[in-house]
Amino acid sequence: MEAYLSVLTFALISVVSVCGIYVLTGLTGMFSLGQAAFMAIGAYISGMLVVRLNMPFALAAIIAVAGSMLIGFIVGLPTVRLRRDYISLVTLGFGEAITALLNQSVQVTGGAMGFSGIPQKTNFTLVVVSVIVSVALVGFLKVSKYGRQCIALKSDELAAKAMGINVPRMKMIAFLISVGMTAYSGVLYAFYTTYVDPSMFGWRKSAEWVIMVFFGGVNSLTGSIVATLILSALPEMLRFASEYRMFFYSVLVLLIINFKPSGLFGEFELSPSHISKLFKRGHKNGAVNVAASGKDQ
Amino acid sequence: MLLQVEKISKSFGGVQALVDFSLSMKDPTIIGIIGPNGAGKTTLFNVISGVYPPDDGGKIHVNGQDVCGKDQFLITRAGIARTFQNIRLFKGLSVLENVMCAFDPTSKYGIVGGLLPTSRRIKEEKLGRQLSEHYLDLVELTKYRDEKPENLAYGLQRRLEIARALACKPKVLLLDEPAAGLNPREVSDLMGLIKKLNEDLGIGILVIEHRLELVMGLSKQIYVLDFGHTIAVGSPCEIKTNPEVIRAYLGEEECVR
Amino acid sequence: MSPQIIVNGIALGSVYALIAVGFALIFNILKFSNFAHGSLMTASAFIGYIFAIKTKLGLFPVIIVSMLAGGLLGVLGEFLAFRRLVNRKASSIYYFVSSITLGSLYEAVVTIAAGPNFYNYPRFFHKLVISIGSIVISRSDAIMFVTSWIVLGLLVLMLSKTRVGRGIRAVSFDADTASMMGINVVRHIQLAFFLSGALGGLSGVFLGINYTLYPQLGNLVTKGFIASVIGGLGSMSGAVIGAVLLGVIETLLINFIGSGYAPVFTFLIMLVFLLVHPQGIAGSNVQEKA
Repeated sequence: MEAYLSVLTFALISVVSVCGIYVLTGLTGMFSLGQAAFMAIGAYISGMLVVRLNMPFALAAIIAVAGSMLIGFIVGLPTVRLRRDYISLVTLGFGEAITALLNQSVQVTGGAMGFSGIPQKTNFTLVVVSVIVSVALVGFLKVSKYGRQCIALKSDELAAKAMGINVPRMKMIAFLISVGMTAYSGVLYAFYTTYVDPSMFGWRKSAEWVIMVFFGGVNSLTGSIVATLILSALPEMLRFASEYRMFFYSVLVLLIINFKPSGLFGEFELSPSHISKLFKRGHKNGAVNVAASGKDQ
Repeated sequence: MLLQVEKISKSFGGVQALVDFSLSMKDPTIIGIIGPNGAGKTTLFNVISGVYPPDDGGKIHVNGQDVCGKDQFLITRAGIARTFQNIRLFKGLSVLENVMCAFDPTSKYGIVGGLLPTSRRIKEEKLGRQLSEHYLDLVELTKYRDEKPENLAYGLQRRLEIARALACKPKVLLLDEPAAGLNPREVSDLMGLIKKLNEDLGIGILVIEHRLELVMGLSKQIYVLDFGHTIAVGSPCEIKTNPEVIRAYLGEEECVR
Repeated sequence: MSPQIIVNGIALGSVYALIAVGFALIFNILKFSNFAHGSLMTASAFIGYIFAIKTKLGLFPVIIVSMLAGGLLGVLGEFLAFRRLVNRKASSIYYFVSSITLGSLYEAVVTIAAGPNFYNYPRFFHKLVISIGSIVISRSDAIMFVTSWIVLGLLVLMLSKTRVGRGIRAVSFDADTASMMGINVVRHIQLAFFLSGALGGLSGVFLGINYTLYPQLGNLVTKGFIASVIGGLGSMSGAVIGAVLLGVIETLLINFIGSGYAPVFTFLIMLVFLLVHPQGIAGSNVQEKA
């Protein structure tokens, strides 16, 4: 039971960061291969504040998240005006830079040996509450003007600008929200495992999250969450060695991209309006002219 | 002065797409832009709406505001909205949401409202929805409000683009070949709609069209472009009989009533 | 600022140039950043390694094998990950995810097959260094330098003078028009992937020799990406210039500050470039395509 609880806790911590990735990649269509670096920043800042300066946990967490968002702002500033490829490459470079920095600054962070001695403040309840709050916030965001504008710019950036949408500003907002959530998941993580080291936060981790979002269905928050739970928990439960895990992830996702690109869940969302629509559909008698062939999105 | 465009030119590399174009619209009226393919009509719209800036020396004023060289979204907020030659609807959003997101940039709640159901958000969302439903109603697409835009028939998609542009609350609307691909009945419906937008809503309209019955039937004034140059400006009657225009169109299969 | 450092930097830059050009080839033809390039490099380098150990032949046969392996892996990857996307004209998001996934796949296979160990290529060079005046160049660096530039030169010749090369450029420019002109678009895309993979194989071997061979070697592909950004995404000549510049600047910085911080500086260099001159050296399109 202990083991299952632990696996579930890790999976739920991943859900918190995947909510952030969903905002960045699912809603806004931006790819970051460096979000894990923000998780590291959140983890290290909060860890060091508590261990070195004896700061109370909540305050350290807030500072860590705010600090990460500030760094995210600086990284994002030159990049949000440019095309998508640049965001991926810049965040990739950023991730590598942070990893190198952490590895080098042995005095401060313990370098490659990692940083230990973090008190365990994260318990299952905190994680569950965090997940519920994260999912709620992102859910509200999706149906707000921010969500709509992000989906619009993801679909057609030029048309979005033509409709008066300030695209760089939207991209920055999405990026910062994503950074904040990822940093917070880093805080949860550090205070659960009581130990962090730079190798845990490489671009592979970022890639894993992106894969989870796509596996679940890039347009569906529900899908991203379910996919995260499945892909995080399953290999642990089946005791796969980590290389095989990556192999299976990759094969699965390639299959999905090739054969069901909208992901496991497609557009489906577990939200009140959707559930009531499901009921209505039985009675619906809409006449829809199907003309355009299905180009995917 | 709703729209004032002075001597704008645009070249791409060595190709001169638009040369010294000028236009002014004082009160809301309908102006047609015609010309053979490649004449620079869409380039004109792109320059006015800010997709790219004009070459040095041009001036663009919307509602008295100088918008030359400004970012696209600022130009839209200054009062110009447009539709596209190739339909560019937002996939991933429903028909209603497509219209709503044109209202969203001016919606008055902040990020807190974005993340939580504050009362201001609820109020603004309701307002946005009502406005968007109103525009959908105007173009007679209300019953499709929850559909995916890519599932709509071509003619309906064109109407949706117009509804979306209206949600920007423009003073001037740029319509880029709105009748392309429509059958005669749909064209006549469209003409009625454009007339309504101009007369009832007081929106100035610039329309690029190859369907001459639409342009001739609606426009107060017509500009004719050929190879980037303005070869004629006048009322429909004057244009119909203008020898330059007829020459430029030699080979066109449109019949001019 | 001794000439020695500059020379070392240029040598390093040549290898980066190979990576950056391989990357640029795919960027030009399919308009996306192929994140699988790094793992492809690693995989082909490993195949070359196995060949080297088994047959005990010299450097050049190993290079040929790696390049072939890389080319084939490139074509395989195109089929597995990108063919269907091209067919249904998917948006660029899918290409990103597919390439990342493909890269993870390649890397996972290498990790499973080879384990997390480090491997060393057998010693290919008997005389270790060449001296030119006061400058000392390791023989391996010299050979890498010469080979890289020969291969790049051949590639440029091929792209500009041969029929297939023109075909690739046509497809890069506008695939639909190219197919209407009777060009077999799929074949040319496959060819581009083959060439890109071959370049990747070559870079993999060189990196393997320079550093050591381990499954995460592909991480170094980041340098190639950054070189492309500095040079201007999509421009081949820009990629080369950016790569050499990056090699030189990096070597300088490592000399003065130490190798651990290298990625930090590479990143900052890129950030500065993007702030100041985002089109890169060769000037490419930085806004989202209309």
